[in-house]
Formats: sequence, structure tokens, C-alpha cells
Amino acid sequence: MKRILIVDDEPHITRVLKLYLGRAGYAVDTAENGQAGLEAITKNAPDVLFADIQMPVMTGKQLCFALEEQYPERTFPVFVMTSMMDREHREWTQKISNLQFLEKPLSMRAMTHALDKYFDAAIVAEGAGNV
Amino acid sequence: MSDEIFGEIDFPRYQRWLNRSAGSEVALMVFNKAGVTLWGEDTAQAAKIGLAIVAAGTEAAGLHRHDVDAGKTALYQSLGAANDGQLGWLAVVADHFAEHQTPVLIDQLADAMEDIVAGIADERRDKNDLVMMTDELGQRYEELHLVYAMDEHIKRSEGENHKIFQSLLQSAAEHLNVDVVAFVQPARDVCQYATSLSQEIHNLDLVLVEMRGDLYRFLQVSAETINLNAADDPRRAYIFTDMPYKILACPVVTDKKIESMIVLLNHQHKPDFTNGDRKLAEVLANQLSGMSNTYLLMQSMAEFNRQMARTLIEAVEAKDPYTRGHSERVHYLSMEIGRAMGLPADDLENLHWGSLLHDVGKIGIPDAVLCKPSRLTKDEYTFIKVHPERSYDILRHIRHLDKAVLGARHHQEMYDGTGYPHGLKGEHIPLHGRIIAVPDTYDSITSSRAYRAGRSHEVAMAEIERVSGSQLDPVIVDVFKKIVATEPAWLDLFKIRRDKA
Repeated sequence: MKRILIVDDEPHITRVLKLYLGRAGYAVDTAENGQAGLEAITKNAPDVLFADIQMPVMTGKQLCFALEEQYPERTFPVFVMTSMMDREHREWTQKISNLQFLEKPLSMRAMTHALDKYFDAAIVAEGAGNV
Repeated sequence: MSDEIFGEIDFPRYQRWLNRSAGSEVALMVFNKAGVTLWGEDTAQAAKIGLAIVAAGTEAAGLHRHDVDAGKTALYQSLGAANDGQLGWLAVVADHFAEHQTPVLIDQLADAMEDIVAGIADERRDKNDLVMMTDELGQRYEELHLVYAMDEHIKRSEGENHKIFQSLLQSAAEHLNVDVVAFVQPARDVCQYATSLSQEIHNLDLVLVEMRGDLYRFLQVSAETINLNAADDPRRAYIFTDMPYKILACPVVTDKKIESMIVLLNHQHKPDFTNGDRKLAEVLANQLSGMSNTYLLMQSMAEFNRQMARTLIEAVEAKDPYTRGHSERVHYLSMEIGRAMGLPADDLENLHWGSLLHDVGKIGIPDAVLCKPSRLTKDEYTFIKVHPERSYDILRHIRHLDKAVLGARHHQEMYDGTGYPHGLKGEHIPLHGRIIAVPDTYDSITSSRAYRAGRSHEVAMAEIERVSGSQLDPVIVDVFKKIVATEPAWLDLFKIRRDKA
């Protein structure tokens, strides 16, 4: 079972994500800010990370840069959840490897679609490696 | 399913609760409706008690008693019922229960179990509500996502309305992951669609015909959303016969009348359309129909504007039949120049109206002057010179044209400052005035007047060349020369006379 870590301080978002991701067959862990997220990753790296940007203690942006620094070999992708309205994050996110956007308000379809696409591609890549 | 609803219940808490009430350790047992242990020690004794409870088949609420062997007694109570029967059971067993427990203690245990059952029921209900609300919230996010995405799309797209409409359909097809999205409004002959094909649809034309025909008629009668998933749905005898696609068709109701519909179409291999799809389709339908109505309204306003302009021009031409077609020709050539100069869209719009209506002020010139076949006296010529300012006076009442009127007002200015009405010079003459002046000069030479036949293209171009820099802006004359050098089709269209080379 693929493991997804959701880092978000808004319980209504994590609840919805947890419910829909659970239904889609993923194991879901949550953390309520970047710091807690980083600790959870240190203990056990997930297959996919979902991160909000605006959070207390440690923002999603800080979390991403901390990951770049501490885990330069990181293979799991980061899905950054950002508002459709603001484009200001488009710049710094370019410096982060293996990063995608999920636009808020979140679409569960778009999200599961993005995950399916990612894991399909990952399977193809693995398969190619075995040849 | 029924077991899941107990999944998140905090049973250890109820165990502590029971221990406190009873004053001693009393093991709590939770069974599902089949008597299988859900929580508590899964011992052989527990399994036996579970089966015994189910076998007893007690339906009533309240506390029940089951004597277990070796002098042990189980007290049990239902955890409530749902549509599909019992949800499960709560039980306790006390060693040597029957022998030394006082009736007071039994009452205490009974009360505690009553409370625990009620507590579990409340918690279960809350958790259940929470899941339902979370589910609902997820669907609302989905709708909001679609609406925001459409809104962003509209804000970011430039260009004409129908292109935005098309790209909205396209993004909807991709977002909803459906093979075809169509917006159908047969009364206005609208059937726009976008595809995000999972597989080829070889008969898409026929599918569209079916949509705007039988499907639309069916929807008008049924007046509700049609969700056609199964290939053997009996309704396929009337609609989409021999077309085994999954169809979700959603009417748009305005003033209690169905005026359009949104159709989503998928190949059979895709999942069935759900209630969630239906809500999204309805959101989409309302957005698109709002846009479509706005678009049609804009079209009819634009039509109205054209007709009003046409009417004004007819009024001028009624006074002077010899100028028939002059406004249209000057307009046509001005737009050619404007486009060749790369003017932005809103500027072209202003040039459009300014050039079309540049001579409207001639309405104010007495017929005796306007249509005089011989040379004008100085006073008569003064009357003529009034007309650009008169054009301005007439058109300034239309706020939409406030930038367009400059072209009309200043089309008789001359580049060297000797023109009228204001004697502006060079760059001080509004650009549209300088543009309109060139085709105005050209057309006045090449078209026939009361007192002379129209002269040739070559004569006109020679004259324009001669006055370039004095009467006309040389930059615009150059643009015009480049245009005519390509022998454009309008030379024939306007029946311009040519000199044989």
C-alpha cells in the first residue's frame, strides 16, 4: 500500500484528503505543520508528500527547502497545495526538484488523477530499469 | 460496512468507564451482528457468548441476561439497529455473577451499560456525520475547483467570446475526464463541443446529430437530468440506439423552460456517471448557459449597433445619392490601413466606428450646397467645412463612441495645419483622423460626383503622392501605397477605374 503524508494545518482539508485517499487505496498519515512533517519524514519517508504552504511553526516553503537540503537524494514527489488565484509561488517552487501543484479549492478527481499518473509513470520507469 | 462504523470508536475509554462504575475490573466485550468479537479479549468463552447472543435472537432494547456455564452470567445489550438489522452487541461477563452479586450491583452494571451503549451510539453517529460531511465537503471542493478554474480561465483568456467558450468546454472535458462535453441549444442553432478522447469516436458527427435531435427532445419532455450508463438501458430504444456510450445529459432551465443542455459522453469502458458527476455537470451547465446568454446578448447588441450605424449612414446618403457607398469604402480602406499598421484591437474598434460614421455631419449641410453640381462659393464652402464638427456633435452623445468620434471630427485636418475644423498640424491631428483622410481623399477622386465621373486609381494615387506631407500624413500614405501595391481584391470590388499601362 502506497503511503501518503499530508502536511496541512487545516483539519477540514486533511479530513477530506484522508477520506478520499483512503477510499482510493492509500495509507494516509498527517502532520499539522512543516516541522512535524519533517519529523515524520525522518522517521519514515512516504511515497508521496502533500504539503500546504501557509502553516504555523514551519511553512510549506521552508519544509521544501529543508527537504532539498537534508534529503538531496529524495525520490518521493512533493505535491504543493496552492491557491489557484495566487501565482507568487510559481517562482520559488521551480528550485525544488520533483514538485507538482495541486490547486485549491482541491479537486479530488484532479488529485487522484495526478497520483495515478505519477504511480503509472513510476511503474513504467521501474519496469524499464529491470530490463 | 456495519463493522466499519465501529472502527474509530474509542472502546478502551468505555472499558475504563465501566470499571469505574462497577468498582472492579469487568471485561467489556463488543460483538458484531454475527456475534464475532469486534473488541475485547477474543477468547473461546467470548466466542461462545457471542454466538449465544445471536442465537437468542432478542430484538428488544434493554439489558438481557445469558447464563454461561460454570456459574458465569453474561449481561448484554443491543448496540442499535440500522436498515439492515442489528449493528452489534455489547456484553459483560462477571465471574460467579449469579452467586454473590447483589441486586444493587446488577442495577449499577445495567445503568453503566445503558450509558455506554448510548455513548457509543452518539459517538458512532458523530463519526458517521463527520464522514458524510467530509464526503460532502470534498464534493463541494470539487465544484468550487471547477467554478474557480472556469473563472480563472475566463480572466486569463484573451480574444473573442466564442473562443473562451470553446476553451472552457475543453478544460471541462479534461477536468471531468470525459470523452465529449457538448453544449446544445437547438433553438439558437448552437452545438459546441470539446473532446478529451480515451478512445476514438468514429461516428462523432452522428453522435452530435443524435444529441441535438432525439436526446434533446427526450430531455425537454422528461425535464430532468438523464443518466444513461448501462448498454441495455431500455431508454436506448428511443435515444442513442446502437450508440452504446455512457451519457449524462443535464438540462438548463431558464424561466421554467428548458433552453439548452450539457451532455457528457463516455466510452463504455469508463466508470459509470455518478451523482457527483451530475452535480458537476449542473454547475457547468449553469455557468456555460450564463456565458452563452451573455454572448448572444452581446451579439444582438453588436447587431443593433451595426443597424443604428447603417441607419445614420442611410440618412446621409439619402441627402446625396452620389456619395452612396462612400462611408463603407472609406471605412473598409481605413481598416485595411489600421490593420497594416498593427493597431491594437480596441483601437481598431474605434477606427471602425469613426471611419464608418465620419461623414454623418453632412446631414447638417443644406441640400443646395451638398448636391450642387457646379463650383461652390466661399460661403457655400464654409457650410461644407462645418460637417466634421457636426459629425462630432451628433456622435458625442453615444458614450461608447467617445474615442471613435476623434477620427470623424478630424478627418479633414491637413498635415501642414491648413485643414479644418481646428487647423491641427502633423502629429497633433489624432491618428484616426490622419488615417481616414487618406481613403477619404482616394475615394473622393475615384468615385463619381454630381459634376464629374470618377477618375482612375492611378490618378488618385498620383494626387495622394503629390499631397503627401502637405495634406496627408506621409507615413500613412506609405502604408496605403504598400497595400495597393499588392493589387488587393477591393480594387475590383469597388469597381475602381484603371488606366491601361
